[in-house]
This record gives sequence, C-alpha cells and structure tokens, in this order.
Amino acid sequence: MGKAGKERLIKAGLYLAYAVVTLFFLFPIFWVLSTSLKSVPQLFATPPIWFPLDPRFENYAYVFTNTPIVRYLFNSALIVLLTVVFTLLVSVPAAYGFSRYTFRYKKPTLMMVLVFQMISPVVISIPLYRMFVELGLLNNYAGLVVAYSAVVLPFTTWFLKGYFDTIPYEMDEAAIVDGASRWQAFWRILLPVCAPGIATAAILVAILSWSQFVIPFILLDDAALYPVSIGLVNLQSNADAITLHYLSAASIVAIAPVIGVFVLLQRYIVNALTSGAVKG
Amino acid sequence: MAGVVMEEVTKVYGEDVVAVRDMSLDIQDGEFAVFVGPSGCGKSTALRMIAGLEDITSGKVYIDNRLVNDLPPRDRDIAMVFQNYALYPHMNVRDNLGFALKIRKVDRSEIKRRVEEAARLLSIEELLDRKPKALSGGQRQRVALGRAIVREPNVFLMDEPLSNLDAKLRVHMRTEIRKLHNRTGTTNIYVTHDQTEAMTMADRVVVLREGIVQQVASPQEMYERPTNVFVAGFIGSPAMNFIRARMEKHNRSLDIVFGDTTIPLPRERHWKELDGYVNGEVMLGIRPEHMQDARLVENMQGSATLDVKPQVVESVGHEKYLYFELPEGLTARTRSIEEIEADTGRNEEGSGDMLVARVSPEAKVRESEEVKLVVDTGKVHLFDLETEKAIF
Repeated sequence: MGKAGKERLIKAGLYLAYAVVTLFFLFPIFWVLSTSLKSVPQLFATPPIWFPLDPRFENYAYVFTNTPIVRYLFNSALIVLLTVVFTLLVSVPAAYGFSRYTFRYKKPTLMMVLVFQMISPVVISIPLYRMFVELGLLNNYAGLVVAYSAVVLPFTTWFLKGYFDTIPYEMDEAAIVDGASRWQAFWRILLPVCAPGIATAAILVAILSWSQFVIPFILLDDAALYPVSIGLVNLQSNADAITLHYLSAASIVAIAPVIGVFVLLQRYIVNALTSGAVKG
Repeated sequence: MAGVVMEEVTKVYGEDVVAVRDMSLDIQDGEFAVFVGPSGCGKSTALRMIAGLEDITSGKVYIDNRLVNDLPPRDRDIAMVFQNYALYPHMNVRDNLGFALKIRKVDRSEIKRRVEEAARLLSIEELLDRKPKALSGGQRQRVALGRAIVREPNVFLMDEPLSNLDAKLRVHMRTEIRKLHNRTGTTNIYVTHDQTEAMTMADRVVVLREGIVQQVASPQEMYERPTNVFVAGFIGSPAMNFIRARMEKHNRSLDIVFGDTTIPLPRERHWKELDGYVNGEVMLGIRPEHMQDARLVENMQGSATLDVKPQVVESVGHEKYLYFELPEGLTARTRSIEEIEADTGRNEEGSGDMLVARVSPEAKVRESEEVKLVVDTGKVHLFDLETEKAIF
C-alpha cells in the first residue's frame, strides 16, 4: 500500500472513530427527542420506532400547561444567575491574586484548589446536608447558591488565572507608572481586557450550574423552589400513569436553553478556552 | 526636569541572587544616559528600581534631589516606555495617551491640549481614534512614546523600546527618539543590549556586567579608552580582537610582540606605568577598523604589519571583513571575551578563534590568499592578563 493509500486509511479510521463517539453522545438526546414525540403505544413498540411518522407535539403542550415547568425553568434561571454573579465576585479577584501576586504557599494553595475541583458533589452531599441543616439553610436560595458556587469555583478560578496570565504584567506596570493604584489598574485596565475570558467563565458556570442535580436534590424539598433538573423527577412514570413521553418532552425543554447558548456561542467559548492554552 | 542620582544601589533576589551591586551614578539634568550590557547584566533591574517597580535592597535613589526609595512610581514624576509598549488594547490611541492625565484628574481641556500636542509631535494625529491592534509596530512605538510625553515628567525611562522593531525601523526610531530628547530636554535613561544604539544615542554610556558598572563615559571616550577587556570587546562592532603578546624593551622603545609581528608603542602614552609588564605577557587589543590592507597604505614607515590568510571574506559594499586565525595560543581567551562572543554570536562552537579586520572595499583580498595587514599602532590597547584592566 502506498503512502497516499495509508493516509486515506488512517483518515477513514479517524472519521469512523469520530462517528462512533458522536453517536455515543448524541444518541441519548436523539432517543429522548424521539420519545417526546411518540404516543403511549409507540413508547414500548417492538421493534422500536426510531422516529414517529406522526410526531405528537401535543406532548409539549401538555408539559407546558399541566406541569409547573415554566416555574422550574424560572427557578433554574434565577439560581444560575445568582451563581454566576457570586462565583465571579469571588473567582475574579482570586484569579487576579494568583496571577499577579507572589506570596507564601501560593503553589500549594493552587494545588489545593485543583484538588477540590476533583471532589464530586455526590461525595460531599451528606455532610453538606447536615451542615446546612445546622445553619438553617435548607430550602434557601442563598445556601443553594453558595453550594453551587463552591462546586464551580475551583474550575473558574483556574480558568481565569490562566486568562489573566496571558495579559503581560507590563500592562499593570504601565498603569501603575501612569498613576493608577492597584485597584484602578485592576478595574480600569485588567478587567476590561479580560472581559472575554470573564464572559466565557460566566457561560461555563451557567452551563455547569443549569444541569446541577445532587445539590438541589439534597438541599431543597419545597417544590416551589425546584430548579428544572429536580422538577423533572416528578414527571417520572408511576403505577397510575405512563408519563415517559411527557418526561422526555420536559427533558428536551430543560436542556434546550443550554444547547441554544452553546450553539450560539460555541466559537467564542472554544476560542477563549484554547487561546489560554496556546499562550500558556 | 531633573537629575537622577544612585548611591550604592544594590538589588538582591531571594537570598543570594545579586542582580545589581553597589551601583553609583550621577545622571545630570537633561542628560541622555544609556544603560547597556548583555542579557542578565542588571540594566533593566536598575531602571525598574529608579521607576519604583522593584524594591531597592540597599542604597539610595534620588530624583530631582528627592530621595525616592519609598515613593510609589506615581509620585516619582517619571514616565516609562516598555519593551512591548504595554498599550491598553481596549482603549483607542487618544484614550491611551490621556489615561495618565485622567487618572490624575487633570482638566479635560488640558488633557485634550496635551494629547493633541503629543500626537502632532509624533505625527500620529490621524491614528487617535484607532485601537492598538489596528496599528503597525512603529505606530505603536510612537503611541507608547506619546503616552510618556503627555505626562511632561522629570525623567523618561525607556526599557529596550526598539527591540521589537525591524532593523530599518529601529534606525529611524533611534533618530526620532534622539530628536525628541533634543526638543524636550528631559532627562532620559535608556536601556538597551545593542551597543550601536548606545553609542549613537547617548550623551553618556553606562556599561554593566553581572550587576556591576564597568564604565561610565561618553561614547567616544568609551570607544577610545575602555577601562577593561569587557568594555573594549562589548563596544564596537565587529568586536575588538584580543591577542596574547609579550612586552619587550628594545633600546628606547617598548614593543608588543606576537608571532612575527612587532608593534612599537607610541612614545607619548604613559610608559612609566608599564614597567612591571616588560618581558611579561599582556593582552593586546586591536579594533578591526584599525587594520588595513598594506597595499592601500601609502606610507608604511614605522608601521606594524601582520601576515594573515583570511578564511572568510565578507563584502558589505562600503567595507570588507576579513576573518582569519593566528597561530595557536596567540588568540586571547578569557571569561569576558567568551561572554562577549556568546552575546554577539561570534566564534560559536566549531568556528575556532577567528579574528576580524575591517578593510577598505578596494582591498583586493581573497579567501585563503595571504594578505599583509598594517596595524595602526597609535590605536592599540593593552590589558593586564589577570585583572583584564586597561594598562595602556
């Protein structure tokens, strides 16, 4: 086999791998979408119906009119907004400090932040619950936002520190020589320059927080406060009714905002994520 | 306008990394001083200590007779131009120029006046509404200069501002900066690793090596009377040739001898100080431009000659460079010389101990063909082999 033939084979293999991985990740979403448009008899048909020829859009209408999904979506949006604001308020100055200052135990501190990143919310859920009970923070958005932020802060701090590192320190020094205080150099020079990175961090925090399940499941039992990730649980089938099609429709409604945000902003997000990597 | 005085200024990083050691300097009001030296010599650190961007470990810095050790940069009345310009990318040129004045709450009309005046001085009026990313390297350089000018400071500090420009633009900007200095008369401290920049721009040059000031002098004096091997080799391009030689006394003349070449030392220089070197080894320094093809020299009486076989002949139009070797053991090698060669890239590994002569373009010289060179005996330098200090 010649060189060209070998290259073609390698390329074909790569594309096959892409296809397999893509199918692996997209198939569940496709199946949920398909299920959301089926009637009850079609749900458990054998052989399975891949996509109904007569899609039942009324399933979506049912979800909007007969379930509090709008309320859940609003709750999710509010929680995510508060989480983004609180996370940025903490992580931006933290990242600035890590990037611009030299202090004792800086490296070990950064390592600790990275280590905390590896801890899954599932692992801390029980102790978190007990602590929040003591603090009286159950069924409370303040407590929820603090818990959400704690989960995303390590990643956000690391990401923003990397972004701040790409800004030459001479820019801070130029501002200081020009007469700016440290705060003015941060507020008037560094923040505007880092706005794209901060915006990307905000989007990533929003996407991560929207799909959060374990923490609100542990800390909320007032249905009026449920975000959409918990609200969906109530739509599961039980002995009285098969609601798989409604659950699927509600799931699509729940993930639509996140998909929409990512599709609209993917180039921006990928650029911001990879530019930090290239500049190191 | 103000002078800058440094009194035994030292900077130590960590426990034992001495970046600048006991630097004492008196830069006059309105002077254009250039700090020059190889990478890592401490020149930028010294500049940053004057600016207040680095703490001073010991010693004192005065600007306009005011002790500034504990003053933040904003209170030292200095303006700085950085190597990578450090323009604010989210602001247009107008806002970049006016930022320092805005921070200090200067009146809007005054900001407008100063910004427009600086723009006119630097011919960047039509760039005022552009952002830095829409500017070329030379334009960004001028905006960085403008940002310093609008401040009307006591001292300009420039940290290798031309390093990122191409060669042609660098030459042009050198004259622009010098013209600006002549117009404003402001004290200027300029840092560069390029000895050509130092020699063409400075009123006085400060050569640094490993954090220690080697010599402070006007460019001409530094060229004609370097205090040691390092300064002699660093200043001048191509670098000075260094040869191991013996000093011998013949009747009433003091001669420097190496190989078949004898160089009589001019009588009018200080012979008494050379008594201790007679019949001993010294280091002879000859600048490439002080050697000439003997066929082009009219009167050879009293001259010293050197027979060489150039391995490489480079013609650059207005002159030729002849690269040749001397018999083994004659070319001097010391740490200073190796440091200079490492910095200039000369005599890289494998290229041997080459010396250089800079001759007239009319010289008919070919590679591997023997040529007789005449040495200008009035322009030779002598250094102590041990201390590397100039003795003649």
